[in-house]
Amino acid sequence: MSSHREAPSISKDPVADSTDLYAFVSPDDPNTVTIIANYLPGEAPFGGPNFYEFGDDVRYSINIDNDADGKPEIVYEFDFRTEVSNNATFLYNIGPITSLSSSAWIRKQFYSVTRVENGKRTLLGRDLACPPCNIGPGSTSNYASLASAAIHGLGGGHTVFAGQRLDPFYVDLGSIFDLGDLRPLNNVGPLKLAATHGLDSLSQMNVQSIALKVPKTALTKNRSNPSDVSKATSVIGVWTSASRQKSVIHAGNGSTTRTGPYVQVSRMGNPLVNEAVIPMALKDGWNADVPAGDAQYAKFVAHPELQSLLNVLYKGAFPNLAALASSGKPRADLEAVLLTGLPSGIVPGFQNNTGKTLADQLRLNMAVPPAKNPNAGGLAFGDAAGYPNGRRPADDVVTIVLRAVAGLLYPLIDKSYKVDAAVSLVSDGLGPQDSSYLPSFPYLGTPASGYDTQPLAA
Amino acid sequence: MSDLTRRELVKNSAMAAAGMTVIGAIAADVANADTGAAGSDPVVAYVSNPNTGEISLMHGEREVKLHDRKLARDIARAAR
Repeated sequence: MSSHREAPSISKDPVADSTDLYAFVSPDDPNTVTIIANYLPGEAPFGGPNFYEFGDDVRYSINIDNDADGKPEIVYEFDFRTEVSNNATFLYNIGPITSLSSSAWIRKQFYSVTRVENGKRTLLGRDLACPPCNIGPGSTSNYASLASAAIHGLGGGHTVFAGQRLDPFYVDLGSIFDLGDLRPLNNVGPLKLAATHGLDSLSQMNVQSIALKVPKTALTKNRSNPSDVSKATSVIGVWTSASRQKSVIHAGNGSTTRTGPYVQVSRMGNPLVNEAVIPMALKDGWNADVPAGDAQYAKFVAHPELQSLLNVLYKGAFPNLAALASSGKPRADLEAVLLTGLPSGIVPGFQNNTGKTLADQLRLNMAVPPAKNPNAGGLAFGDAAGYPNGRRPADDVVTIVLRAVAGLLYPLIDKSYKVDAAVSLVSDGLGPQDSSYLPSFPYLGTPASGYDTQPLAA
Repeated sequence: MSDLTRRELVKNSAMAAAGMTVIGAIAADVANADTGAAGSDPVVAYVSNPNTGEISLMHGEREVKLHDRKLARDIARAAR
């Protein structure tokens, strides 16, 4: 998936597993940027009696690099705690949950938000309530109002929400990991079947979202409100990370003691990097590293395994890509998209370059205004407000990345390169579903309810 | 921990740290805790390799690393 269960160790630690990261200029509040970090992949809506929640023992971070060194100048930390108000029941709720303070809701979660800038810690908010999970009409009949009540204004013009949302990501995992049998390409692929649309493996699945809206002036190094796309100060690099304390002692009576500094166990910048670029043997180490050290992984971007696989699976469909792969030339197009950002002069009127430091970050040029008519194909389809200029929830990053690997962007750095005709067909055959998104903060749709969701086998 | 008590470990750790001029705030906290001057939060000592003498002391969200081969070997011996 984008980064759902993408590495061996973190796949066994769901509450610390970052699934997706989004960063975009808020379409209805363009002096702000919204950053959304999703965790806990593949939540089945009918998750009772222990419904999903953030880890009280996990420190979640949103990291901002505003001086192009691959290191965070600003970190937002999110720490959660859980309250159980009734020790005599096995239930999450013993009646309808009508408000965030409802006594019928037994297991509530709260959190704090701390901004760390150049070592200075500022507590922006504490005891902030999460909404409950969307259980169903008997328990959470007016879910939208419960979620709305969990949007909190913080100091410094920040707005935050943390809780369950419908996973906005869409992908046909069944086809991609069955040896790359992309359904729209079935007729030329290894299965030789009729071409069809994709099947969304994440349909009706939820995630735990941390959404933070921040004034642009709180993100730039010089505290300016960016208006000039060409300026380096208009670009920020964003990534999320999750950390656990170094030591844990299981007492043997069900309790645990955690001590020591927090160490990183998960991170995410661009979609699909640790998923589909980094070799499996290195994925756990990649999750523990910081973007500033990503030069060690650059060879996997410059010579991606996937470009060779496409030529094996769809023999004869990508002759120019095959020639490029066999030439041994580094994929400077992918390095620019994933590791440095695009410099000026590549795409007219656009840049999101952060210099020579190779770092996996989601790079957002904040001077690019929101699109009036967004195109899920993003920059490659003329919409500079979309991926890889940051990432919006509806952006079709699977198709964008697959086509980029297949050579779609290579002419940007080598005008003599001719893109294979089959590249326009490369896709997992899915697109955004309008019901998955909201027009305003936190932008992600109401989570699927446990009662109303039909199990796959039904 | 039969041969080496927690009190001895804490005392030795603090002494070793002071002797090597690498004593950190954590060791001071630990020593204070032992005399009742501070709280009773747990301390975890981790010896990754007794032969190198490196001992990590973890307390709260902090970690201090000591280097004391004798102490590390004493801990390892006591743990067997």
